[in-house]
Amino acid sequence: MPHLIKLILCASGFSLSLATSLLYAQTTGSPFTELNESDFAEGREVFQVQCARCHGMFGEGGEGPSLTRAKLSYASNDQQLMSVIRNGISGTGMPGTWQISEPHLLRVAAYVSSLGVLEEESLPGDPTAGELVYQTKGNCASCHILAGKGKGVGPELTGVGQRRNADYLRQSVINPDVDQPKVYSRRTGTLNAFLTVRVVSEYGTYEGLRINEDEFSVQMRDVAGRVYSFDKSKLSSYEKAFGHSLMPGYGAALNGKEVDDVVSYLMTLKGEV
Amino acid sequence: MRKIITGFLFFCLSGNAVVAQTSYQDLVQDEQNGEDWLSYSGGYKSHRFSPLRQINKDNVDQLKVIWAYQMQPTNISGAGLQETTPVVADGIMYLTESPSSVSALDAQTGKLLWHWAPDIANSVLNIGFPRINRGVAILDDTVYVATLDARLFALDAGTGAVRWETTVADNSVGFSLTLAPLALDGKIIVGVSGAEAGVRAFVDAYDALSGERVWRTYTVPAPGEPGSETWQGDAWQTGGGSTWLTGSFDPELNTLYWTTGNPAPDWNGDLRPGDNLFTCSVLALDPDTGEMKWHFQYTPHDTHDWDANQIPVLVDGEFEGQQRKLLALANRNAFYYLIDRETGEYLLGEAYSYQTWAEGIDDNGRPIVIPNTEPTREGNIVWPSLQGATNWFSPSYNPNTQQFFVANRRMGAKYYKSDVEYEPGTPFLGGGEQALDGDDASGAVISLEVMTGKFQWEFPLQSPPWSGVMATGGGLVFGSSNEGNFFALDSDTGSALWNFNSGAHVRTNPMGFAIDGKQRVAIIGGTTLFVFGVE
Repeated sequence: MPHLIKLILCASGFSLSLATSLLYAQTTGSPFTELNESDFAEGREVFQVQCARCHGMFGEGGEGPSLTRAKLSYASNDQQLMSVIRNGISGTGMPGTWQISEPHLLRVAAYVSSLGVLEEESLPGDPTAGELVYQTKGNCASCHILAGKGKGVGPELTGVGQRRNADYLRQSVINPDVDQPKVYSRRTGTLNAFLTVRVVSEYGTYEGLRINEDEFSVQMRDVAGRVYSFDKSKLSSYEKAFGHSLMPGYGAALNGKEVDDVVSYLMTLKGEV
Repeated sequence: MRKIITGFLFFCLSGNAVVAQTSYQDLVQDEQNGEDWLSYSGGYKSHRFSPLRQINKDNVDQLKVIWAYQMQPTNISGAGLQETTPVVADGIMYLTESPSSVSALDAQTGKLLWHWAPDIANSVLNIGFPRINRGVAILDDTVYVATLDARLFALDAGTGAVRWETTVADNSVGFSLTLAPLALDGKIIVGVSGAEAGVRAFVDAYDALSGERVWRTYTVPAPGEPGSETWQGDAWQTGGGSTWLTGSFDPELNTLYWTTGNPAPDWNGDLRPGDNLFTCSVLALDPDTGEMKWHFQYTPHDTHDWDANQIPVLVDGEFEGQQRKLLALANRNAFYYLIDRETGEYLLGEAYSYQTWAEGIDDNGRPIVIPNTEPTREGNIVWPSLQGATNWFSPSYNPNTQQFFVANRRMGAKYYKSDVEYEPGTPFLGGGEQALDGDDASGAVISLEVMTGKFQWEFPLQSPPWSGVMATGGGLVFGSSNEGNFFALDSDTGSALWNFNSGAHVRTNPMGFAIDGKQRVAIIGGTTLFVFGVE
């Protein structure tokens, strides 16, 4: 059938009790209160097919935020949670899920809601020391905006602790080439959010991050924050440098403790400005 | 067709709205008539070809927006995507808006004449596809629209008032209608979606005046019927074979050509051993009785969701030294096929896009399947993705140059198989796919030599497209992209001659018409319809 990112309904031995569903409904009058344990198991199965690629098999996070929190940033109650799953979150990597039927959506939302009781990740280091590394030795603000301060070349880090888990943050600090952030667009599917592109035109050679692109033009931002728009038909060459981040790896510049501290600091960034 | 002056003067003098009068004969001649566009594919042969040449290679760079129309808001959640092709009859444009509304516009100015919206509940089931509609049919003074909740409506072309409605099927078990109906002589033909919910699909014909059902032909045979030997046990009862895209018609052969979709469940073929006729096929039907004259199955025992719901294009010409009546189809499975449409004889099958599942097509038209390309529990990467090397969006055929143009998706996917049990009104899939990332995929508009399937040229696209193409007598091919571009290509070379940024994802087909002697080309970007011309 036409355009479906379809469900894989895996076998699963997972079960939660009815009492659990009542307990973890976030609000009174929750739509989850009528669900039974097989509904939760079904919700988990759908979650592992539709959501685990970004949020982890158990909602622990990864490219997408951890969902093992009592309150989710964009879904402070069960109705909002269902709305987020149904419609996505504009301007983020979270797509809408029209392909999930309403009964399945209810079960997935109930499962996600139940994840709030899991333990949050412990910090591997000292976030206060990490903040100092961020501001001095790391010079992170030269490319990242955090709480309104810094230069907006790479991803904004305000609230990054809501979106990424410790393993992902550590890898991003040490070797950002390995797994670059993706962004989902209903138009084009999942794309690299910060793809490095190299352009040679009659005016010179340019390297920067792709902002937008179509058949006829490409828009990019260089490390100084300057924005360019190129007519592709007039370029001498155009290269997409997959697997190459404009951000240098900090594995050599920072020692192990400093990396732990910076990761811990980033984990504490929950979005309060 | 009764020709009507559509200008402002007419409105002033008559004091009446212009009402389309589209006879069956008008529909038969639609292909030759560049002024109107009376059916989904621009004529029974489904060429999606505008013979007009006022807009051509020499002046296409002056093409500009003449008017735009922004669609009406809807309270139905998830109903933002537009896949409609407008029709134009007697100076009035009729188009659908998702999920199943109809608008009539003055084709001169784009001003709204009437808008009709059915009472569809937010809880309507659409299992396996978005909440969209692809357009209307028109016959005499009536406009026909099929709805997401599986009803068929006949509307007065002048006012949008309902003349009759009928329930085609039960939406609560997963039946739905998204296609533009096809109007024949006194009959309205529709097909259904629902294979992802395990329906047993069919093609229906309804009396155009009364709404009474004239015939129904199932695409999955019951035990004892021809083709039933390709099913085992009760699998036929949930066998799928949806009919969700408008077919083609040959008035001389009095034959209706309709395509069918995947067997159900989609990815777990263990649950339905056999070829699973008549899924992933094209059916030749007697329009008077629904009787099947012949069938051709493109993908026997499909396990990749490669519906054959693409446009069957009727082509006449010389094939290997012999004049023949042919049916050309660029299939979702990445092969281009020619079938003799009088007999159903397989003539040609050539890959037109990168694929990893078949060594080729044998002399009987059966794919030579490469071992171990079925979905597995661990996942198996195969090209093309479940969305195919093309999909529902239309190809175009230029009969003057014998070129066949296709919007081509280039994307692979990891296919999974899993267990599933049938439950009415819920997904019946038996697996899934994980499409490769968007930056690892691409697309193109390609030109094929219609009688051989040989590649002629391509115009690369940034991402796998969701929009069709239209060739014109002016030597142009219009196409569009996910990135929002609507462009005109030189049909000889594929080079871009003009480009417009519509500002939104395009997932419709271009169409063309003329009003007061001026050629127009139309496309929808997002929820805005743009009509272009050279002044």
